[in-house]
Amino acid sequence: LKAFAYVNPTSERDAVIALRVENGTAAPLAGGMDLITRMKNYIQSPDRVVNVKNALDRTISTTPDGGMRLGAAVKIVDLAEHPQVGRLYPAIVAAAGEVGTPQIRNAGTVGGNLNQRPRCWYYTNEEFVCYKKGGNRCFSPAGENQYHAIFGNDGPSHIVHPSSLAVPFVAYGARFRVVGPNGERTVNAAEYFTMPTLQNVQKENVLADDELLTHVILPAPGNVRHGHYEVRYKQSHDWPLAFATVVLALNGNTIRSARVVLGAVAPVPWRSEDAERALAGRSLDADTAAAAGDAAVAAAKPLSRNGYKVQITRTAVKRAVLRAAGLQTV
Amino acid sequence: VAKLQNPQGAAPAPDPATQALVQKYAWPGRPALIGTSVKRLDGPDKVTGRAKYTYDIARPGLIYGKVARSPHPHARIVSIDLSEAQRAPGVRAALAWKNPGDEVMFQGDSVAAVAADTEERARDAVRLIRVEYQPLPFFSSVEQAMEPGAPTVFQNGNTRAGMVQEAGDLDAGFKQAASIVEQTYSTHVITHVCLETHCVVCEWEGDRLTVWISTQAVHGSVDQFARGLQIPASNIRVICQYMGGGFGAKTQAGAEGLIGARLAQAARAPVKLTLDRKEEHLDTGNRPSAFAEIRAGVASDGMLTAFEARSWGTGGAGAGSNFPLPYIYQFPNRRRAHTDVYINAGQQRPMRAPGHPQGCFITEILMDELADQIRMDPVEFRIKNCPPDAPNAKWRDYLAEGAKLFGWERRHPTGDPAPGPIKTGFGCAVHQWGGGGRGAQARCEIAADGSVVMKCGTQDLGTGTRTIVAMVAAETLGLPVAAITPQIGDTMYPQAGASGGSTTAASVSPAIRLAAGKALDQLLERVAPTLGVDAASLVAANGRIQVRDNPSRGLTWREACKLLGTSPITADAQWTQGLSSTGTSGAQFTEVSVDIETGIVKVTRILAIQDCGLIVDRLTAESQVHGGIIGSLNFALFEDRILDRVTGQMVNPNMEMYLLAGMSDIPQIDIVLKNMPERGVIGIGEPPTVSTSAAIASAVRNATGATIRSLPLMPHKVLDAIQAQRAGGTN
Repeated sequence: LKAFAYVNPTSERDAVIALRVENGTAAPLAGGMDLITRMKNYIQSPDRVVNVKNALDRTISTTPDGGMRLGAAVKIVDLAEHPQVGRLYPAIVAAAGEVGTPQIRNAGTVGGNLNQRPRCWYYTNEEFVCYKKGGNRCFSPAGENQYHAIFGNDGPSHIVHPSSLAVPFVAYGARFRVVGPNGERTVNAAEYFTMPTLQNVQKENVLADDELLTHVILPAPGNVRHGHYEVRYKQSHDWPLAFATVVLALNGNTIRSARVVLGAVAPVPWRSEDAERALAGRSLDADTAAAAGDAAVAAAKPLSRNGYKVQITRTAVKRAVLRAAGLQTV
Repeated sequence: VAKLQNPQGAAPAPDPATQALVQKYAWPGRPALIGTSVKRLDGPDKVTGRAKYTYDIARPGLIYGKVARSPHPHARIVSIDLSEAQRAPGVRAALAWKNPGDEVMFQGDSVAAVAADTEERARDAVRLIRVEYQPLPFFSSVEQAMEPGAPTVFQNGNTRAGMVQEAGDLDAGFKQAASIVEQTYSTHVITHVCLETHCVVCEWEGDRLTVWISTQAVHGSVDQFARGLQIPASNIRVICQYMGGGFGAKTQAGAEGLIGARLAQAARAPVKLTLDRKEEHLDTGNRPSAFAEIRAGVASDGMLTAFEARSWGTGGAGAGSNFPLPYIYQFPNRRRAHTDVYINAGQQRPMRAPGHPQGCFITEILMDELADQIRMDPVEFRIKNCPPDAPNAKWRDYLAEGAKLFGWERRHPTGDPAPGPIKTGFGCAVHQWGGGGRGAQARCEIAADGSVVMKCGTQDLGTGTRTIVAMVAAETLGLPVAAITPQIGDTMYPQAGASGGSTTAASVSPAIRLAAGKALDQLLERVAPTLGVDAASLVAANGRIQVRDNPSRGLTWREACKLLGTSPITADAQWTQGLSSTGTSGAQFTEVSVDIETGIVKVTRILAIQDCGLIVDRLTAESQVHGGIIGSLNFALFEDRILDRVTGQMVNPNMEMYLLAGMSDIPQIDIVLKNMPERGVIGIGEPPTVSTSAAIASAVRNATGATIRSLPLMPHKVLDAIQAQRAGGTN
């Protein structure tokens, strides 16, 4: 672990100033669940660590339009246990409750979960100098890619996005408030996460090095049905193999419109328009759920060793829809 | 490995006096303590942090070592430049462990080392050691190593053919067969993953060395340090009071131990060297993989007729991979040829029941397939083909009893007919192990204040050895367990062997029993005149020395010991034939549920029937079974050392992507321990970890109707097998 300077700003503005280092690098520290491991493994060695926990909002509040606003420093456990979030956005609470372990949920924050770096084992092990670490290749296509992407594989990198919260945030149409040296801006969650390109492969989102994500703003959900389903191998601490959030607007028992977002299957939270089309206009029942699962994976392009994730993703989507319908998943 | 499996060997016949002592101190028919459940004496110390593990050892002026390791699976060292590291802040010593021209044979091979005044500085400085490597061809899998035309990576060949084992007449056996199964089975490489990583503290005082080390062999370590450092064994003291597991990975000082000693010498300061999880995965041993191409026949009456196998596996760079095959069941006609395959990965070390889990899985899944061929219940089929009954071979009884307890009659034929994606199934498997005792020595000291110290240079891996030392002494002296001070884990105490191969309890308990008995005999002699009786008429019971036939006539332990005045008692004894024996058998049953839409397996219930001779501490014996079963569940479902096929580097050297069961992954475990006091102490470390994984795989087959012939049972294998079965494949 390289020696570093530590600063402890108490306002968004000071934090943003602290993130800019002349001839050096800085990294924001919130729960530390991801950054500290990266530093100990020499994956990232910032000259300055900026504690942003005291600079960022730690509260959950209601917005005038009936939506909600989450501070980036809100702990995942507090999100998972928030009654009103649970009533309005049950998929968020479900996703938050499945993050990591109780210890991780008690220390980890909303902002940290969204901005954590990939868990790809080629990225997290120092030996592999991959695109994401400034190298000139991705090791996964010819290597051990059983946990890698089955969608969005046309680019140079095949990671899956590691955030559990990003998926329901995209599904509910959240916006992220970002502050930087030139003030603040708001970005749609769906546009915040970026697909890898050769020009932009070292980042997973639009956040600049001296910017901070400060809030998640959730619109009023309206009259919708929600379903969230995660498939993981271990029942205790483990990363999901695939998961899905579905948000359905209904007309009687007919689905008027659907939002289907998949997690752990692509370099970004993956919106499945194929599944959305398979749901729209159909009655909400088990057959429709199965059809949505099939449609969701019709265009999947797995790598050499992760074909099984196609079946798992199909199942996750089907069961998320079943949950939205209030039906048995198994 | 062979050394650990059958340590008993031929023991010399004891002299008449010792024989008499063994007879006198045979295990009691109605014990007060032995066989009861006694909590670990050091439990409170461990949970409060008072127990000092090697990592907790603090010495004046202590500095910290760190090893520079090869990032390459195979390379020749061109040069090693320590100068930059030597100039780094806080660095006190730097040394090259290998020389230019030497080859590194696996990622993680030790190359050089530094010591610095903090652990963090040592970690930073070790990265400044500049090593120039010339990369050489390597193998990251047995497939690569066995490929025709593969380069010669290992000097004496990439493979080594072992002896062929043969019996009976193979052709005749296959002619008798009504059905034949021909399949390939395999198990993977896993590492020991001790909760406590390897750790050593080395301190020199002139030419004398004291080593605190997490080890399964304090006395054995002395020889290894003496040889490695070229110093007399008498100059070395080794201490290991508490351990967080060994499982076979800590039977040697290792490069890290010797490097720690060399760094301490060079820096003229005590050095602590702790491996991190990555180093642990790469360089401190593993369980070799196993592959077997098998052809086996069964007659229509359910009797096995023939077994032919070609097997192979890898124990890493230049290390063996043999395992027992076929396992336990009797094939009258058989032939088996094994080949060791070398790849560029860390060398294997003995791992809890070396070879047995591999042989067990391969044989048991084959047995399930054979049973289905002739449509026979798997338990009935196994019972038919077990070896003859013996005290250490009671599989027939255990299978029958287990089937009854587990509700085997509720098992459906292969393939759960229930609708829906969740399928449940039952499985079973059997196992055996040797264990047994060998030459441990012990000393019992009784002081005039009544205190009793039991000294034995064994070590407690976390299995409860310290507690059973106190229990056996307390039983013998008629005292409560708390009255005994057990002193172990230090070469200042009498010689005892390595804790490997399930030998510790069976080696140590007899030595303690006899030493305490000898000491008691001396005490009785000293007390007898005061009581005006013959020493032979006295016994120790309930904290008193009293007349056997008139218990009210006697002294309290404290009063009796007061008579010792200024001459306390010291008595030495050693393990002697007669209080321990060898050989255990067991059977396990499992229930699983499999989600056939995701391929995910959940184990819901496990039953273990296990014998281990005389049970000393029932609680720690049960704990051994729990631990063994959980380890084996990990082998079946989760653990897997994954090497990148292209670079040969391990992709999951951590505890995040190297999966281990958490609480939610561990099912209800029921244990039936068979107490066999007449057999003496045997040891139960390895046996319970052998068959769980086979029984889980057997249950997954029963649930899904699809056979998975390789571990671990990851979702992709389960889904593939189900798909192959639906397509009308060989399943």
